Amino acid sequence: MSCLHTINRSPGSNLLKSCLSVINAGDAILFIEDGVYYCSQELNLKGIIETVKIYGLREDMLARASLSKSTERVETIDMTRFVELCCEHDKIVSWF
Amino acid sequence: MTDNANTARPAKSIITFISRGAPYGNNRANLCLDMALASAVFEQEVNYVFLDDGVYQLLKGQDGAAIGGKTLGSALETLALYGIDSVFADQQSLQERGIDGTDLLPSMQLIDSDAVAKLIEKSDTVFNL
Repeated sequence: MSCLHTINRSPGSNLLKSCLSVINAGDAILFIEDGVYYCSQELNLKGIIETVKIYGLREDMLARASLSKSTERVETIDMTRFVELCCEHDKIVSWF
Repeated sequence: MTDNANTARPAKSIITFISRGAPYGNNRANLCLDMALASAVFEQEVNYVFLDDGVYQLLKGQDGAAIGGKTLGSALETLALYGIDSVFADQQSLQERGIDGTDLLPSMQLIDSDAVAKLIEKSDTVFNL
């Protein structure tokens, strides 16, 4: 039973910390809206275990000029893939 | 005396705006900018400071169209058009977010937190949004 966690606030919000304290191996994290700022520094993603996939929404990165700064661990996706991810996971937990 | 009071121009005060919100996620950044532009129209002395997540507004290459909105970066360029030249970015906020000078929109003066404290001290009014 895997879960997709979405985070929509900047690193200053500490949402990732809350999310990581309850995450399971095999879950995925998707950064959207202001959450995409997490993707521009490796340091921000510290503590995410290897078995957790990390995604970032391309549209939001483009708007915020943070696509080019996105780190390698983050797979950038479009809206269509976002919908697919919602279907592929059993549950979605929104951190906001 | 009353005549004088009626004809006198409003006193000029120093207003400092501290913009602390990232663009697009909510409208705080836009609201702060609007307040500053309105103040400038009424010939107040305006300082504009980008602090904390506010420095994300300064990234070059933003494209609001990607999410169906307006690009805030280009709105910031109107600060100069309205005669607001005292525009500052907090160095520590930039550093914490891994943003260096080459990522920034032009004509930004970098200052440290002591300088921000002094700006606040010199101001008559401070808006912190």
